[in-house]
This record gives sequence, structure tokens and C-alpha cells, in this order.
Amino acid sequence: MNAALGQGGVILGVAASLGGVATLAVALRQRRLHLIAVGRSYALLALLGAVVAVVAMERALITRDFTVQYVADTGSHKTPALYNVATLWAALEGSLLLWVLVLTGYIALVVHKFRRRLSDPLVGWALLTMLVVSSFFFLLLLFPANPFHTFDPPPGFDGPGPNPLLQNHPLMAFHPPMLYLGIVGFTVPFAFAVAALATGRVGEGWLLETRRWTLFAWGFLTVGIVLGAWWSYEVLNWGGYWGWDPVENAVLLPWLTGTAYLHSAMVQERRGMLRVWNLSLLCATFSLTILATFLTRSGVIASVHSFTESDIGVWLLSFFGLIVAVTLGLIGWRGDRLRAPGRIDSPLSREGAFLANNVLFAGFAFVVLLGTVFPLIVEAVNGDQLSVGAPYFERMTMPIGITLLFLMAVAPVLPWRKASGELLAQRLFWPAWVGTAAVVAAVLLGAHGLAPLLAFGLGGFAAGSALRQVVLASRRQGWRGVVGRTNGGMIVHLGVVLIAVALAASSSYDTERELTLDVDDSATVAGHEITYLGPRTVEQSNKTSIRARVSVDGHVYEPAINRFGEGETAVGTPAVATSPARDVYLALLQVPDDDNAGRIVLRVVVQPLVLWLWIGGAVMLVGTVLAAFPGRRRSPTAPVSEPPRRAAGAPILAPANGDDRAGRTDDEPVEVPT
Amino acid sequence: MTAPVAPESVPPDPGDDVAEAPPRRRTGLIVSAVVAVLAIGFVAVLATREPATDRRRDSPLIGRVVPPLAGETLAGGNFDIDDQRGRWVVVNFFATWCVPCRIEHPELDAFNQAHARAGDAVLVSVLFDDDPASAREFFDGNGGDWPVVLDGDGLIASAFGTPKVPESYLVTPNGRVAAKFTGGVTRDGVDRAIDQIEQAAAERGAP
Amino acid sequence: MTRTRLLGWLAMAAVLVAALAIGVADDGGPRTPEERARSLAETVACPACDGQSVAESDAAASRGIRTLIAERIDQGASDDAIRDELVATWGESILLTPDSSGVGGLVWVLPVVALVLALAGVGYVFWRWRGMAAVHASDADRELVDQALAPSTRARGEDP
Repeated sequence: MNAALGQGGVILGVAASLGGVATLAVALRQRRLHLIAVGRSYALLALLGAVVAVVAMERALITRDFTVQYVADTGSHKTPALYNVATLWAALEGSLLLWVLVLTGYIALVVHKFRRRLSDPLVGWALLTMLVVSSFFFLLLLFPANPFHTFDPPPGFDGPGPNPLLQNHPLMAFHPPMLYLGIVGFTVPFAFAVAALATGRVGEGWLLETRRWTLFAWGFLTVGIVLGAWWSYEVLNWGGYWGWDPVENAVLLPWLTGTAYLHSAMVQERRGMLRVWNLSLLCATFSLTILATFLTRSGVIASVHSFTESDIGVWLLSFFGLIVAVTLGLIGWRGDRLRAPGRIDSPLSREGAFLANNVLFAGFAFVVLLGTVFPLIVEAVNGDQLSVGAPYFERMTMPIGITLLFLMAVAPVLPWRKASGELLAQRLFWPAWVGTAAVVAAVLLGAHGLAPLLAFGLGGFAAGSALRQVVLASRRQGWRGVVGRTNGGMIVHLGVVLIAVALAASSSYDTERELTLDVDDSATVAGHEITYLGPRTVEQSNKTSIRARVSVDGHVYEPAINRFGEGETAVGTPAVATSPARDVYLALLQVPDDDNAGRIVLRVVVQPLVLWLWIGGAVMLVGTVLAAFPGRRRSPTAPVSEPPRRAAGAPILAPANGDDRAGRTDDEPVEVPT
Repeated sequence: MTAPVAPESVPPDPGDDVAEAPPRRRTGLIVSAVVAVLAIGFVAVLATREPATDRRRDSPLIGRVVPPLAGETLAGGNFDIDDQRGRWVVVNFFATWCVPCRIEHPELDAFNQAHARAGDAVLVSVLFDDDPASAREFFDGNGGDWPVVLDGDGLIASAFGTPKVPESYLVTPNGRVAAKFTGGVTRDGVDRAIDQIEQAAAERGAP
Repeated sequence: MTRTRLLGWLAMAAVLVAALAIGVADDGGPRTPEERARSLAETVACPACDGQSVAESDAAASRGIRTLIAERIDQGASDDAIRDELVATWGESILLTPDSSGVGGLVWVLPVVALVLALAGVGYVFWRWRGMAAVHASDADRELVDQALAPSTRARGEDP
């Protein structure tokens, strides 16, 4: 029953998406614009199909209905309840169900938000693009990656359960959905970018309309990536949080281009420039999300994250090729004609800073992409087998990161159009003192080494600059001084500084030791006393957990090795003693047993400031939400420096498309030279 | 486009008072074309890759002298591969938790029995990341009486460059590594390899 | 800039330079053999683990290689000699960073090339912008703008 229901949902999704594509294509081609509204019904039907399929699958998972192939492959009676729900995204086919659910959800939201503008060809094209994408993913679910094949379970059959690594930690329930909300979310601004290129209407409100979508997608992606790092840290037993693994890199790429876009979009809003560049960034971001999906699922690059390979790789690669071809075609054909007049007067200006930001982020993305695919390319060209790993990425991205910190400090104080050195010196005085204080404090606390000290100093500098902005804005506008694009952005910058400082500290000053301990043995690592108290075995429904009770400075923690199934797979689960100053990470490498006389081998990693990585991520999330806060409305032709007031009459310019908004909103505080 | 403010005045022609518009640049087209070429190459590379797990790594050991393989066996004796000069040696890395290893076991048994009689080839297994008790249980239950060398610290596997099991190496009577098999082996497969190499050596006239 | 401001900046520079000098000079002492082994292990890929280094992974092959590295360091081998030995057994792909010579060198060179091209591109774009004549508004243009702003200037109480 579940299989049939789920299969029906997928078929409905395919039919609705394809039907919508056909209808909209006809509507746009023949200029029968009233038909675009019909596209809305198709979008809602596709959403219904996705919901039905997901509900059917979750029901099958929760009731352990092994007649559904996917449940037979990944479900099990022994998996605890929460993880059963999360098993939906534990393997390839199920994760695609999550993808279409999120995608059709976004499409329905777009259709709702633009409900009064459904006769606008721009919206029509955007809807068409989104339905093409949803058709593709539904087709994936119908053909190469169908989770609803039926299975005839022999009596007493129990599935293997999801991969043991995915049953170890509750974060598994949150990391993939967050990630998907981010990655899939970029489909919306991409669709509008394609629509803008197709209709040639790049100069008007489409960018503003989709600004918040992009911000939310980016925010979710940021949270997804940070949660992924946290999960990796808490689960994978090696004491690190970012390994420059190909799948991690693949997901970082759209984040980098998305960040570049969020900044250069402000240049477009303010000066009307960089329009085609922004469109290209959005197209690149979406293409990179498809590339990321391909790299993760096709098995072309081996990774701890890889899903099983299947011929889904061919489908995904073809779709990637199609997207790249279409977007390059559109940009090549239309781009030159759509370029905005106008220029950036001086490199020393806010525009110049955003341009530098884009160059740096593009460079960052280039390095990450190159390092990830280089082994593949070299092997294709001359058969050599090389590896490119963490040391490469760290060495290449560190200078970029340092420069970005510096830019984060200087850019918020730069005015638009042109700045003088005098102005900069005046505004950066106190932030520079904060940076200097940070370096002094670090040295006093024992920090050494040029790179981390630079990171601390520039981080302090950037934090000072961001705080200055927020404080000035709050003084002038009260609580409104922390919301809105600029101020929220400053809070996000603070989060980034926290992460940068934590990264620098935890990677430069970490200590790692492998200890062999008998019961009641002690050792000292980086000033912490580690004592092995004895073993403990815990039986759970899906695993047997052999734990070592270890005391760190008096508090007891239990790193464990978990055996799933018939003792075949053993997975280590670390225990972490967290504190604001440092984390003591305990990984059990060898269980106590008769062969080694009850001795354990324990890996101890002491890293300072790791907690601030997650706190920084939370701050970034808060900043994103604040940045999405709507600003006050102003008449579009009022000078930007005019204090916002409700204009006495109606807005002067008729809004473009029957929208009830007056268009440009701006919420930057007035900069009065002090 | 937004409606003009004062409908009664004619919007100025863009070309009139402003300085001459510069000739239309083709930057967008050129950049797109360059990126397109790169993208085609990139997709072509990705399309022709095999899945990573199937890829065979050529061992750099082939043709070279076999790495040292000596140690205590399951039965309690000692084994040293250098003592086996003059006979073919099949070095088999295995573990009892590895399903393909269990599948190839009967093949190894057959190979061992056939060649033990002839005395021209010797089979030795190296225990990989497993405990001796399980191995003993496994051999007791499944038969097989060839030496199983213990490699508790993984140095032997390291010397051979063996990352996963099962893997087998074929060593010539001169003590050189002649072939590497990843995945399970069959008795016929090994016999065939031995024949092929002997024939090739005979044709070359080399020992 | 006022005199006090200038002094403030100079003081800051002095403090900063002093702190950095102290921080950079004190490099935490000489490297112990364990640290050297660990830092070398971080550049060697684990053959069984798809992307992790032997320092991080628990697989048997990694442990074997770590033991090997520790033994060789005790025997006095140099980092390069150890790396060469590992490559001889396992192949080029055992090292996590390609050599700077040969095809592998491209991965180091290309980003630098890309950066230079990007800077050149931005520089060119700025040069082109500088060459563009700034827009000169004509009287007709000014009148158009005044008409557009009229309602808002009236609302502010100014004369249109």
C-alpha cells in the first residue's frame, strides 16, 4: 500500500511538473499570458505529489514496512524512532524525496508570493525554469533512483538499518534538511535570473523581489554546513571538523558564490551596476549545487560521504551539462546587450570593496574546485594518480581568508562612490585599537606564530568595525539599528570573525596524543589529567556499546566503540569535554578485552576555542534573520541620505507590475561625518 | 520600465546629448565561450571516470623484489618468505570479517591442496586487522592448513601497500612480485596467471 | 588628521609591532619527534579511507604507516626520505599534496595564474571606466529631474 501510494505521488509529481512545463512553454511562446496562472495549479499538484510520496515513505519507515524496497535496504526493527524518520535522507533515493519536497514547497511559496503577478512573462519564465528542475528530480525518482520498488520480504526479515555512522547522533536529523533547504533554495533566484535573461528585463525589481529568497537559502546553507562540521566532529572519531573532503568542498562551492552574490547584489541595488555579473553568479551557484549533487552521488570521487553509486551519475551529469549550456548560452547571447551604463569611480569605495570581495570569493571557489577535481583531470589526461588533500587547501585558502578578514574590517566604513584616506583613518581608529588589543591579549595568553596572530588581529579589527556600525546605527535609530540589510550583515560578520578566530586557534594550538592506559592509569595531556576508570558495556536496540569511562580533570566521559549487527561493523563514538576555552576530545581506538589485558588505546585531542565555531555559526544565523527584516519604505526618488519619513502623498512612480510595494527599500543609517 | 514622470514631456532620446555610446563590447560573449569550452572539457572528464571503488591501482611493487614477510603463524610456528625461494608463493591478505575473503577461501583451499602435492607453489595468508582467535575459529570451521602469518601492527600489510582485503600477490620462485589481485581470487585464476608468466618468461629466455 | 590622532596611530603601531615581534619569535619550542611524526602523517593519505590522512584515520593500513613513520624517524631518516619510501610502496597518490614539479605542479600554479588574470581584468575594467567620459547633464535633463522631484521637494517645504 505504501509503495503504491508513494509511487502514485511520484507519478503525480512527474505529470504535474511536465504538464506545467508544457503549459507555460505554450503560454510564453504564444503570448497567452493568462495561461501562466494555470501553471500555478500544476505547481500545487506537484507539491501534492511530493507530500504524498514523502508521507508514504515515512509511514513505511516508521512501521518498518519491508515491502517497500527502500525500507528493506535501509530500515530495521532495531533502529530507534527518531532515526527512522531521519532514515528518509540516509540513503540516495530517500534523500531525493526530501529534495523534491523542499523544491515543490519553494515553488508553491513563489507561486503564492507572486500570485498577483502571474500574468507577467518574467514570473512565467521563472516558474517554467523551476518546473523544469522539479521535472528532472521527479524523473530521477521514477527511473534510476526509485525507492518505491516492491520487495517480497521472507518471513522474519529485518533490514540492515541505515549506515551506522548515521545512527550515532541526533544532529543527523537536522543537518541534511538544513542543507537541502539551502541548496534547493538557490533554485528560486536562479529561476528568476534565467527569466531576467530570457526576457531581457534585468534592470528592474526582479532582484529585489528575490533578495530575501537568496538570503534565506544562503542562511540555511550556512547552518547546514556548520551543522555538518559539528556532526563530523562529534561522530567521526578523528577530532577534526573539516577535512576538505570532496563532498564538503562540493557544498562549500555554492556557499562561496552565494556569499559573493549577496555582496555584489548591493552594488546592483545601489548603483544599478554589475547586473550581468550578478546573473552569472546566480547561475553559477545553481550549477554548482547540481555539480555537488553529482559529485556526492555518482561515486566518481571517493569520499567518506559518498552515497552508493548507480547510473544516477549519468542523469545528474547530463542535467549539469544542460544547465551550464543553457545559462552560458543565455549570458553569451544576451549579456552584452544588458550591461548597465555607469562606472565605479574609485577602487577605494564601497563598490570597490564589494568588487574585491567578489574577486576573493571567486578565487576561493576556484581553488576549492581545482583541488577537488584535479586528481580526476590528471588521471584522465595522462593516467597518473595524485591526491590533493587538506594541506593543499589549507595553504591556498589561508591567504585568501586573511585578506577577507581585512576587507571585512575596512569595507563597512567605506562610503559609496569615493573615500579619502583621511576618512578611513578617522573611522577605523577605534576598530584598529580593538585589533591591536586582540593581538596583545593573544600574545599574553601564550599565542605564537604569525598566521594565527594575524588572524586574531584582523579578526579583532573586523569585529571592531562591525560593532562600530551597529553601535552608531543603534544610537541613531534605536532597536532598528540592529535590523536590516546592513546591520544584520554586521552581525553576520561578527559570527564570521568568531569562526575565523576559533579556526585559527584550534588548528594552530592543538595537541594530540595516543595513550595506552590500564585501569586507573593516568596521563597528562596539555595540562589536563586523563584517567581511565574502567569499561562499561551498554546494550541498545541497534548496537552494543563498549564504553570506556574516562575522567578528564575530574569529570567523567565515555568514549565508546559501537558494534552494529553481528559484530561486523564497529564504529567509534567520541566523547568531548567542551568548555569555552578548549575542548578535550576523547576517541576510543581499541576496546579493552582479553587479548590486551584490559588496556585501552585512547586518542586525546585538545583544541582551544572549538565551541566558538558553533557559537559563531549561531551568530551568523541570527544576523541572517536580522538582515532579512524589512526596512522602512521610502519614496524611490528621495535622496538616500534623507531621513525616512512617510511621504505625504502616494508614491510618485507607478509601481512596475501592479505590486503594492513602492520598490526600493533602504535601511542604512545616515552617516554623518563626525 | 517605469512610466515617465511627466507624460507631457517627451523622454529624451538616449543618443542626443550624452557622449557617443561606446561600441558594443563582446566581453560577455567571449567569456561565455571560454567558460563553455572549459565546461565541455570538464564534463567530458567527469563522464569518462569509473566509479572510484572499482579502480584498480597498479602496484608499484610489480617486478620488484618481494617485501619482507616473516612472523609468527597461527599455529605457533614461524614463517619467512625468503625460505620459499624456488617456489611460487601466493601471498593472501584476508580477514574473517570480510565477506569476499570468506568466499574465496574454498578456492584457496583447492589451490593449496593441489600444489602442496606438487610442491611447486606455496600459499601463505596474512591476517589483516583481525584477531587470532577469530582466525583460528574460522580455519577450524572451514578447513585449510597453510601458514597464516599474524600481522598485529600492520607492518606487513604496510610493506605490501595493501589498504583493504582481500588482496593477493603472486611471487615468482625468484622472489619477485609478479601480479596483484584485488578482490577475491579463484584457483583457476591463479593457475592461469602462473602459466602465463612462465610462458612469457620462457619466450623471453629469462629465468 | 589632528596631532593627537596621529600620535594615537603611532602608539598603536608601536604596540602592534612589539606584540607581533614577541609572538612570532616565540615559536613554542623545538619539535619533538612525536610532533614531527604527526605533522608528516598529516601529509600522507590513508589508502583505505578516501581522503583522510593517516594521522586521522584508524584503519589498519594507517596504523601500519604511522608505525613505519615513527620507526624511520627513530632511525634518523629525513622527511623526504620517508615520503619517497612511502611513494615507492604505495604510489604517488599516497601523498596528500602533489609535488611542485610535473603535472602535479599545475595545482599550485593555476590559482596564482587565475589571481593574476583576475586582477588584470579588474584593472582593465577600471582603466576603461576612467577613460569613459562622465555623463554631462543637459538642461533638458535637469528639467526632467526637477519635475520628477517636485512633489517630494514640495513636501519638504522647499520651492520646486
